[in-house]
Amino acid sequence: MQRTRGTYMLILTLTVGLLVFSFVTSAGDLGSFGTTLLSGLFLGALYFLVASGLSIIFGLMDILNFAQGAYFMIGAYVTYSLFHMDALKGIDVNLRFPLGVLAGTIIGGLLGAVLERGLLRPLYARPIFQLVLTFGVAIVFGEALKAIWGTEGYGWSTVTSFGIHQSQFEIFGRQFGSYRLFVVAVGVALIVLIGLLLQRTRIGIIIRAGVEDSEMVEALGINVRAVFTMVFTLGCAVAAFGGAIAAPFLGANLGMGNAFLLPAIAVVVLGGLGSYMGTAIGSFMVGLAVAVIARFASEFLNQTVWASITPMLLLILILLLRPSGLFGKESR
Amino acid sequence: MQSIQTLPRWRRVLQSNWLYLAVLVFLIVFPHLVGWITGDSPFGVGGRPRGQSVFWQSVFIEVFILTILTMSYNLIFGFTGVISFGHALFFGLGGYILGLVLQMTDLGPEIGLVVGGIIGIVICGLLGFLMGLVSLRLRGVYFAIFTLAIAEMFFIYIGRWPLTNAEDGFALNNIPELLNSTRNRLAYYYLALMLVVLTFLFIRRLINSPTGKVLLAIRENENRAQAIGYNTLTFKLVAITLAGMMAAGAGMLHVILNKKVGPETLGLTYTVDPLLMTIIGGVGTHAGPIIGTAGLHLSERVFNREFVIGSTTINIGQNWSLILGIVFIVVVLVFPQGVVGTWVRWRRRRRAARAPTESGRSG
Repeated sequence: MQRTRGTYMLILTLTVGLLVFSFVTSAGDLGSFGTTLLSGLFLGALYFLVASGLSIIFGLMDILNFAQGAYFMIGAYVTYSLFHMDALKGIDVNLRFPLGVLAGTIIGGLLGAVLERGLLRPLYARPIFQLVLTFGVAIVFGEALKAIWGTEGYGWSTVTSFGIHQSQFEIFGRQFGSYRLFVVAVGVALIVLIGLLLQRTRIGIIIRAGVEDSEMVEALGINVRAVFTMVFTLGCAVAAFGGAIAAPFLGANLGMGNAFLLPAIAVVVLGGLGSYMGTAIGSFMVGLAVAVIARFASEFLNQTVWASITPMLLLILILLLRPSGLFGKESR
Repeated sequence: MQSIQTLPRWRRVLQSNWLYLAVLVFLIVFPHLVGWITGDSPFGVGGRPRGQSVFWQSVFIEVFILTILTMSYNLIFGFTGVISFGHALFFGLGGYILGLVLQMTDLGPEIGLVVGGIIGIVICGLLGFLMGLVSLRLRGVYFAIFTLAIAEMFFIYIGRWPLTNAEDGFALNNIPELLNSTRNRLAYYYLALMLVVLTFLFIRRLINSPTGKVLLAIRENENRAQAIGYNTLTFKLVAITLAGMMAAGAGMLHVILNKKVGPETLGLTYTVDPLLMTIIGGVGTHAGPIIGTAGLHLSERVFNREFVIGSTTINIGQNWSLILGIVFIVVVLVFPQGVVGTWVRWRRRRRAARAPTESGRSG
C-alpha cells in the first residue's frame, strides 16, 4: 500500500512538474500552453492505443511485439486508401470514414491473428527467436507497405465525416482543431472499455490471471493458447485502430511505425511491463512529456530534433532510474 | 586412416581447416584470376579504377566489411545469446568519429587515421560497455529495447546535426594515399581480407578460451552459469564491448572505402543486415556469418536488376528487402540453425545412419 501511494505521489509530482514547466515557459500565453497540453493529450491517446496491446501481450505471453508499430501503420494506410479510393467515392462521407476505420482495424486484427497462429506459435519454446521474428515481421510489413503504396507519404484531404476534421473550437483566444479532441476522447473511451473488459468479463479475468501465471491458468483447464491468439489479435487490432483514427491528422507514411513504436515501448516500460493501469497513465505522461519538451526545444533552443528523440531519452532515463516502472512487479 | 591425434601439429591444423584455407587462397588469387580471365588488369585500366577485376574487388571489399560486422554481431547474438537491435550504432558511430577526426582536425591523414581509429574504437567499446551495464542486469528484452532506442536516437540526432551536414553527410578526402580505394583498390582489398581473417581468428580463439566457454554457457542457460559461480554480467559485458569495437572497425573500413560519412550507416539497415546474415548463415557458428554475408550480398548483386519473364518485367532489386525479410522469417521458422547449423546436423545424422553398416562390414 505504501508503495502504491508513493507511486501516485510520483505520478502527480511529475505531471504537475511538466505542466508547471510548460506554463512558465509559455510566459503567460495561455493559448500556447493550451496547444501544448492538447497535443500532449493527443499523443498520449495514440501512444495508449499502440502500448496497450504491447503491454498486455507482453504480460501474458512474454513477447515484446516489435511489429506493433507496423500494425499502427497498416491501419493508417488502409483507412487512408479506402477513404480516398475513387471506386468508393459514391459512398456518403459520413459513412466512408467509419467504414475505413473499421476495415483498417479488421485487417490489422486479421494480420495479428496470422502472426500469432502461423509464426509465433511454433516458437514458444524459443523466446529469443520470437523477439527476432517480430522484428523481422515489422520489417516485412514496412517493406510490403512500401511496395504497395510507394515511399512517398500521403496527406489526408480536408474532408472528413461529420465535419470533425475542419471544425474548430476556441479556448484562451486561440483556435484549436477539434479532431485532436476527438482522438483524445476516443482514447479515453478505449481506456475505459478495455479496462472494463479486463475487470468485469470472464475472459478479462482469465487474461489477468494469465498475466500473473499462465501455466497455472492452463492447469485449471483453460485453453491458454486460444486466449493468446485472441489477445494478440485484439492488441494488433487496437494498434491498427489507432493508426486508422490518426490518419486524418497525421496522414500515412513509412516513418509512422517507428515514430509510435518507440514511445509506446517507453510507455510500457514506464508503466511497468504488463500493468494495464501503468500503461494508461504512462501513455499520457509520455505524451505530455514529448509535447512539452518538443515545444520548449523548438521555441527556445531552436532544435526541432528534440521532439523526435524525447521518447528515447525518456526510455533511457526510465531504465536508468526505475527499470521496474511505476507499477511493475519486478524487473529481473 | 591415421587417428587425428597422432598427426603432427601442422597437419592437424591443416586437416581441420582445409576448407577455410582453400577459401582464403581463392580470395587471395581472386582479383588476379578475374583479371586473367577478362583481360582487365587487377590494378585498373590505364591508371584508373576500371574493368571487371576492379569492380569485383569492390564488391568483395563490401562483403569483407559486412562479414566483420556480422561476425561481431554473431559474437553477442550467436555465442552469448544476448540480442541487440542497435548494432548499426557502433558501425555508424565508428565511421563518424574517424571521419570527424580526419576532416575536422589538423592531424594530417596518417596520424589522423591512427588517432581517429583508436578514439572511435575506444568510444564504441565504452558505449557498448555502458549500454550493457545499464540494461544487461535486467531481463534480456531490456537490452534489445535499450539498444534499439539508443541507436534510433543517434540516427535521428546525427541525421539532423549541422556539424556533419545533417542527412547529406560529408565527404572524406583526407585519407592516406595507401588506403585510397580509388587508386589502390587492390591494396585495400588485401587489407580488408586480412582484417576479416584476423577477426575470424580472434573470435575463434576467444570462443575456444575459458572466457568463451562461459559465454556459451550463458547462451545455453544463464541461471545455471550463475549458479556455478560465474558473474555472468561481466562476461556479457566483455562480449558486447568487443563486439562494439569490431563493429566500429568495420564502420571505419566502410567510410574509407566510400570516402563518405553519412547517417545511413547508423540506420536500421546495418542492424537488420547482420541479424539476417547471422541467422541465415547459422547462429553461433564460425562459418555462418561468412556464408550468410557472402551469400546474401552477392545474390543482391546478382538479382539487383530487371528480369523479363515473358511480357512482364520484374524488378527484384526494388523489393529486395521484402524478399530478404520473407526469407528471414522462413529461415527462423524452418531452419533456425541456418545454413551451417542445418548442414552440420544433416551430416551428423547421415553419419549416424551409416555407421552401423560400416562397422558391420569391417568387423
